[in-house]
Amino acid sequence: MARSLKTTPLYRWHKSANANMADFGGFDMPLWYETGVKNEHLGVLKSAGIFDTSHMACITVKGKDSFELLNYCFTRDISRLGAGRCIYGAFLDMNGHCIDDAIIYKFDDIFFMICVNAGMGAAIAKHLDSNKIKGSGVNIEDLSGTTAKMDIQGINSAQILARLIKNPDMVLKQMPYFSFKGNFDKSLPGDSGSGESGSNKSESDKSGSKKLNVTLKDGTPILLSRSGYTGEFGFEIFIRSEAVVKLWRDTLKAGEEFGITACGLAARDSLRTGACLPLSHQDIGNWKFINHPWDFALAFNKGKTGFTKKFIGSDALLSHDCDPFTYPFVGDSLRKITPGKNSQVIDSKGNIVGKVLTCVTDMGITWHNDKIISINSQNIPEGLKIKGLSCGFVMVDKKFDFSAINDNNCSLTLKDKKRAIKVNIVKDIRPDRTARKNFEF
Amino acid sequence: MKEINDLNLPEDLKYTKDHEWAKNSDGVITIGINDYAQDQLGEIVFVELPEVGDTFEKGDEFGSVESVKAVSEIYMPVAGEIVEINEALEDAPELVNESCYDNGWLIKVKIDDTSEFEALLDKGAYLDMLKG
Repeated sequence: MARSLKTTPLYRWHKSANANMADFGGFDMPLWYETGVKNEHLGVLKSAGIFDTSHMACITVKGKDSFELLNYCFTRDISRLGAGRCIYGAFLDMNGHCIDDAIIYKFDDIFFMICVNAGMGAAIAKHLDSNKIKGSGVNIEDLSGTTAKMDIQGINSAQILARLIKNPDMVLKQMPYFSFKGNFDKSLPGDSGSGESGSNKSESDKSGSKKLNVTLKDGTPILLSRSGYTGEFGFEIFIRSEAVVKLWRDTLKAGEEFGITACGLAARDSLRTGACLPLSHQDIGNWKFINHPWDFALAFNKGKTGFTKKFIGSDALLSHDCDPFTYPFVGDSLRKITPGKNSQVIDSKGNIVGKVLTCVTDMGITWHNDKIISINSQNIPEGLKIKGLSCGFVMVDKKFDFSAINDNNCSLTLKDKKRAIKVNIVKDIRPDRTARKNFEF
Repeated sequence: MKEINDLNLPEDLKYTKDHEWAKNSDGVITIGINDYAQDQLGEIVFVELPEVGDTFEKGDEFGSVESVKAVSEIYMPVAGEIVEINEALEDAPELVNESCYDNGWLIKVKIDDTSEFEALLDKGAYLDMLKG
């Protein structure tokens, strides 16, 4: 089986670290290392962890009509997106069903990069191509296979990164959430065209972040993005494939004194679920991209009566049929069930109302007086043991009244073939996340 | 994950096809999951055990071991009455990974019929089964 799977440039490192490997999106990826998922999950919450996300795909969209195409295809309104900023959203089909979620990076008005999920590069590139107006000035390129990506996540990420890049003070200054600097490829704009003099130029360049060249100490260019998928403070780093193994090793070394942890996809899954973020093709997928906790990923107007623009799928989203509802939940304990088509969601009256999309354990949280507390919360009551809670998303055929949360109305039983667990529908899962934290460097 | 040759399978224990181990001390059988099971399951986050005084038939499900990956039932290798459970696992389920034959034991069972214990697999027979 392993032979038919693709691998990332870090595959040999994962194997040598005795990672437990599994198929994810057609790639043989690490689920966890010998440190174990719990340590990896808590390591990111307490200090820092790194993730190989090279299985994700990158597409560039260039040319004078790029903006029109993307704004027509994407669920977010990117008309006010500034250069050097990125934005999370999704690509839908005409039925309003989700093809994939994505982050769009804007270099300038005629140059964008899109990061999508494993194996989705070709599909999204084709989707964009089939929606461009004939003869329009758009050039779409799938960079899958030449681009690697690793994420450093956790409160100590910036300190560790500072030891790896040139001019850390310049680079890390004024990097708000969902901004990025630099690039990893000469074909991308920015000032990498100036080649070897890049880093000198960046020191004298005060014209704006988008032109700043970001390089590692050895001169390797990177695209550094203040984003991630754990809910915690951190960065995503795009780099040419051949340079990622050295960066990975250097990061582990630089992070040693901070107790940095290499993390597998299982910790990524439990962290993103705790952060109330969806996994594409599991929590969002071939059904309408609405009635879910991710309104922020749609270009809603102020009153949420419609959208600020027309985009592929927008009409279908606004035509209210008997669409299902997706809600986050948190269990009574860390015990979980197996999600999927054999799972059941049972309401307080005993009716089967839906199925479970995701069910994992966030090891960093617990209930206390009807509130969820995280290991990063202030004023944790003395003696409170934080063992973790199961959490995830359910898809149900009825609407729950959020104002009634904590009432019996919102308590559910989730069942798989083996066991049943009690859970509550919640507005959010892990509190006191650090992703948006302001930082001074 | 471990290769079969890297598994720690003490000579003095009995094993089951469900990857449990059992040890007899004067008619009281200590039961746990073996190195193969803990390695396959990955990090164990919760262990569900019966109450002291419960009685089970051979083959009954007496609890479950929950890892980050899956929930696995655990079955009685012999019939008998639960006389002790490993209460330390409530706060430290990771003991099953760290020390599956020692601090990570699960239950102690008083048995009526020692022949059920004698009929369990020895290390060699268990290894043969694993290798298929």
